[in-house]
Amino acid sequence: MARADFLTGLALIFLSIYVLIESWWMPRLEHLKAHPLSVPGIVPAFIGMVLLLFGTVLVIRSIRRGGHRLGLTYEGLRRLFIKPGNQRLLLTAILTIGYGSFLIGILPYWLATGLFIFVFIVLFEWERGMNVAQRKRCVISAVFIAILSSAAITLVFERLFLVALP
Amino acid sequence: MTVLIDNLARFLSAIAGFITPLALFHIAWSTLLGIIIGALPGLTATMGIALITTLTYKLPADLAILVLICVYVGAIYGGSRTAILLNIPGTPANAATTLDGFPLAMQGLAGRAMGVATSGSVLGSFIGMFFLATIAPILGNYALKFQSFEFFWLAIFGIVISGHLTSMEDPIKGWIAGFLGLLVAMVGQEGIHAYERFTYGTTELLGGFALIPAMVGAFGFAEVLSVMQNPPVKRAEAPQDSVFPKISDVLRYWRTIIRSGLIGTVIGIIPGVGEDIGAWVSYAAARRKSKEREKFGKGSIEGLMAAETGNNAVVPGAIIPALTLAIPGSAPAAVLLAAMFIHGLRPGPLLMVESPQFVYQVVAMVFFATLAIFIYGVGLSKPLLKVLAIPRTRLMPIVFVLCAIGSYAITSRIFDIYVMIGFGIIGYILRQMKYPMAPLVLGIILGDLMDKNLRRGLVLTDGDLTPFFTRPICLVLWLITFSSIILSIDPLRHALQEIFRLAWSRTRRLFSFR
Repeated sequence: MARADFLTGLALIFLSIYVLIESWWMPRLEHLKAHPLSVPGIVPAFIGMVLLLFGTVLVIRSIRRGGHRLGLTYEGLRRLFIKPGNQRLLLTAILTIGYGSFLIGILPYWLATGLFIFVFIVLFEWERGMNVAQRKRCVISAVFIAILSSAAITLVFERLFLVALP
Repeated sequence: MTVLIDNLARFLSAIAGFITPLALFHIAWSTLLGIIIGALPGLTATMGIALITTLTYKLPADLAILVLICVYVGAIYGGSRTAILLNIPGTPANAATTLDGFPLAMQGLAGRAMGVATSGSVLGSFIGMFFLATIAPILGNYALKFQSFEFFWLAIFGIVISGHLTSMEDPIKGWIAGFLGLLVAMVGQEGIHAYERFTYGTTELLGGFALIPAMVGAFGFAEVLSVMQNPPVKRAEAPQDSVFPKISDVLRYWRTIIRSGLIGTVIGIIPGVGEDIGAWVSYAAARRKSKEREKFGKGSIEGLMAAETGNNAVVPGAIIPALTLAIPGSAPAAVLLAAMFIHGLRPGPLLMVESPQFVYQVVAMVFFATLAIFIYGVGLSKPLLKVLAIPRTRLMPIVFVLCAIGSYAITSRIFDIYVMIGFGIIGYILRQMKYPMAPLVLGIILGDLMDKNLRRGLVLTDGDLTPFFTRPICLVLWLITFSSIILSIDPLRHALQEIFRLAWSRTRRLFSFR
């Protein structure tokens, strides 16, 4: 956790410096005769300063705990990626972000949704060593769930809630 | 006395208003859905309310809030099932329930444990509901006296206390989450001069990040990622004994029930401190006061009762500040607050002036939701177990599809789906690094309040900070806020302890010398 805290602390310091600079450059609205303490940059600057303080505390604390020694190695990264949990996480992230960011908008909504659910179920339920019957069952149930959920969600949002689907 | 009778009449009229086939139908499905959401590991009350909000756009405001409150009460109760049967809290609010619920199930008393959870949850809700009906009108009238100075401190107080209590081991992470939330709220057109902050010329960011997509991301998508990363959950077995609550358990532990109900309500009122803390504090208090302390953690009925009474009492408690100050008492209450705004309701100090009846409608909604959890708790044990058997590989893609379409449906913008994904990834990373989500959400909600009131206050006093520190309510708020910060910094706390120790020993010596 000390290493993660070190990196988060650094990220917070960079973020807060950026916020402070942005706040400084926000208009002072002198031409509108605005009160100097009502200008738009004052509250972001205050938040930036607090985050800078917290980020610095986090970095100092993590350095004391040895968090600055990141010890990044190829072997360490490889071990991280071969953990089954992390592989599942990566696959979920790819599928969900792919569906949310690319598929919706390119394909009709019902098709994108059905396709996403089908691929998700098949990829996660397909196992090595499955016999033909098991594979068939896996694919058929994925198709069934995909069609049913995609149709239900499309109908509910489009017909019942009158949402113009993407 | 007249006020009491008036309030009782308003409550009864609100109850009568919901005894219609349509309202009862909504209570029935939404409470059941809430229980199912709560029971499924990975689906939390906040996520449930955020997702269901998107299904209530077309409903009239009172029915929409009724549905959301039923989901809220149902989810907090539903999580106890998983905690008892699988040793996995269905929602974070049920973490303390696992300590005694699961050992009871292991002893073959799963049914009794469920009965205790049902009675605790029902009574906890009723205690919280009583205080919602009595405190909210008083607090609402009192809040009318609040000015910019008080609202500024209220926002900071909320962030700091919520940050501290939701991240007890490392409060700085709670505060960072809270201030990050405030920073997120800075994006968009600010409320005094209409200057566009951090928008970079994009029209989508003019109104800032929409709250519902941000919450659906932070609680929904982040949860989908976590659930898929964790090993699969084993299958639950049906209880062999009766799940009907025993009157003797209630009568025996009535003190624990009342204490836990009070603790839960108070924890609920504190901004951004949710059901999980309510359950833990109630559990710890029950253990301290118990005559059977040795049984705690090994299957204590009293411990289970305390945890379940505490977490459900938080629900009405958390609604109190949401209604009267527009400051949510917990993360699910934050979504509820956002839903109220979406439906054109205006919670806040003026609520008691503009529509005092609404507070009693909310009390009636909690009442019906509580009745529904009792009925489902007693009658639907075995069918609920079937829901727990749904594999995550089939449930999670559907949950994500709902996260995406729910975020999109509010304003029909694809951009909101990106917001949901962005907040989901940030939420997941922050959660992995032990940053609590509740202060982040509170920060997003309170950012605008803090921004406007700090600047307004400074303009009113022409830059003089004195009223921020000397007005009575401000004084209390900043003293608690700074004490919370100082007491959580080890060297400062030790120095203070040393100073007090020295001062005390010198005073004693002085008096003994005389």
